[in-house]
Amino acid sequence: MAATTESVKADAAEAPLLNKRNLFLGVALYCVFYAWVRWYEGVYGWSAGMDSFAPEFETYWMNFLYIEFVLEVSTAGILWGYLWKTRDRKVMSITPREELRRHFTHWTWLVCYGTAIYFGASYFTEQDGTWHQTIVRDTDFTPSHVIEFYLSYPVYIITGGAAFLYAKTRLPTYQQGNSIQYMVATVGPFMILPNVGLNEWGHTFWFMEELFVAPLHYGFVFFGWSALGVLGVLNIEIAALAKLLKKDLA
Amino acid sequence: MSASQSAVRSRAEAVKVSRTFDWLIMFTLFFVILGGYHVHFMLVAGDWDFWSDWKDRRLWVTVLPIMGITFPAAVQAVLWWRYRIPFGATISVMGLLFGEWVNRYFNFWGWTYFPINFVFPSQLIPGAIVLDVVLLVSGSMQLTAVIGGLGFGLLFYPGNWPVMAPLHLPVEYNGMMMTLADLSGYHYVRTGMPEYIRMVEKGTLRTFGKDVAPVSAFFSGFVSIIVYFLWHFFGRWFGSTAFTKGS
Repeated sequence: MAATTESVKADAAEAPLLNKRNLFLGVALYCVFYAWVRWYEGVYGWSAGMDSFAPEFETYWMNFLYIEFVLEVSTAGILWGYLWKTRDRKVMSITPREELRRHFTHWTWLVCYGTAIYFGASYFTEQDGTWHQTIVRDTDFTPSHVIEFYLSYPVYIITGGAAFLYAKTRLPTYQQGNSIQYMVATVGPFMILPNVGLNEWGHTFWFMEELFVAPLHYGFVFFGWSALGVLGVLNIEIAALAKLLKKDLA
Repeated sequence: MSASQSAVRSRAEAVKVSRTFDWLIMFTLFFVILGGYHVHFMLVAGDWDFWSDWKDRRLWVTVLPIMGITFPAAVQAVLWWRYRIPFGATISVMGLLFGEWVNRYFNFWGWTYFPINFVFPSQLIPGAIVLDVVLLVSGSMQLTAVIGGLGFGLLFYPGNWPVMAPLHLPVEYNGMMMTLADLSGYHYVRTGMPEYIRMVEKGTLRTFGKDVAPVSAFFSGFVSIIVYFLWHFFGRWFGSTAFTKGS
């Protein structure tokens, strides 16, 4: 009886397997932040984003760009540094329940990655189509690009890197080496950012119009395919979870 | 194995944990695949999908199924071949359409003020359902590629017919004959995408007269078969679980 009481007390004190608060706050953070960004675009895209030589362009768009650069580098440094610094050095000795809890946290990161990828690769990328097919561009740093290339892409890169680092530093499943598909799913979308160099070079020197299917854009396509690496991550995770739960589900 | 070595406390908890993971996995897969598929699709077929004056009987009908069958084939290669989940193609296409509709509404209309009936996305769901049903019924990758792939190409134009037909009606404007979609394009000027780069019904295929769309659809279905095979194996590779050697 006493032992049972102690066990119940321990259960009550134990952290939940899935921290739902973190999950919902994580997704909400992206949604609220990007809703604000979209509002900013709507207001200052037309009023201050049409002429890159205008003083208001510097005020509302170039300063936005400089601020986001600083914040992104800081966030990546702090977040990735924290995850690495606090890594579990005895990761192979954790209990199965702790491992399960960490898989939930890992999936919280992956849910955030999914949200960030959606906004970056889908929402702001196609948005770029309507802005640049509609508006004359006289700079590489248009209102669309300041948000798409230099905000939404770094945000999903930071999130994907954090998910990868979390798995690598805290889950026994990922200690046997580096998962090729996990690297594909995070490094591939990251490579879309350097590919912006090719895009801007091409648009600046020989293709002023915005034809979305132009071969100039195929680098983005190739690296976009790498999102499918998430299927490999899924298979690794299912195998790990099956190992943890199989006998209880049988 | 003692109770302390189990990850869960009871079978009920194991079931609950398993179901919770299902939701987390579905959410993540939906949005990550949506992101990759959408980037791919908008940059290899997007212009024909963005604007109704690009939705012609030749290149729209040819290009979109060929480029659209890619991710559904890859996703089926994992969801069906590993887990016997029979809606890989449909869920991929629904993801793509979700991304497109949100965009057309909030950005094409909401930011740059084009009317929705000029920028609505193309319909791909009928072809995707056929892909899934053929795979479910046959369990065969080859049959899915040949019958489903061909169906994916053939069904594209009729699947979009009801919504496109009014926009393909002929109108006379300043002595010139054009479609209602063309007329919309002339009125809604897109400075960054001038008329001379619009690719619609160029070339000798018009020799076939009224048969342009069926010929294009058959060609599209034929290439879709090949693309399905190719992307099935891409999907298998992306679903692999190999690790680099640990240190």
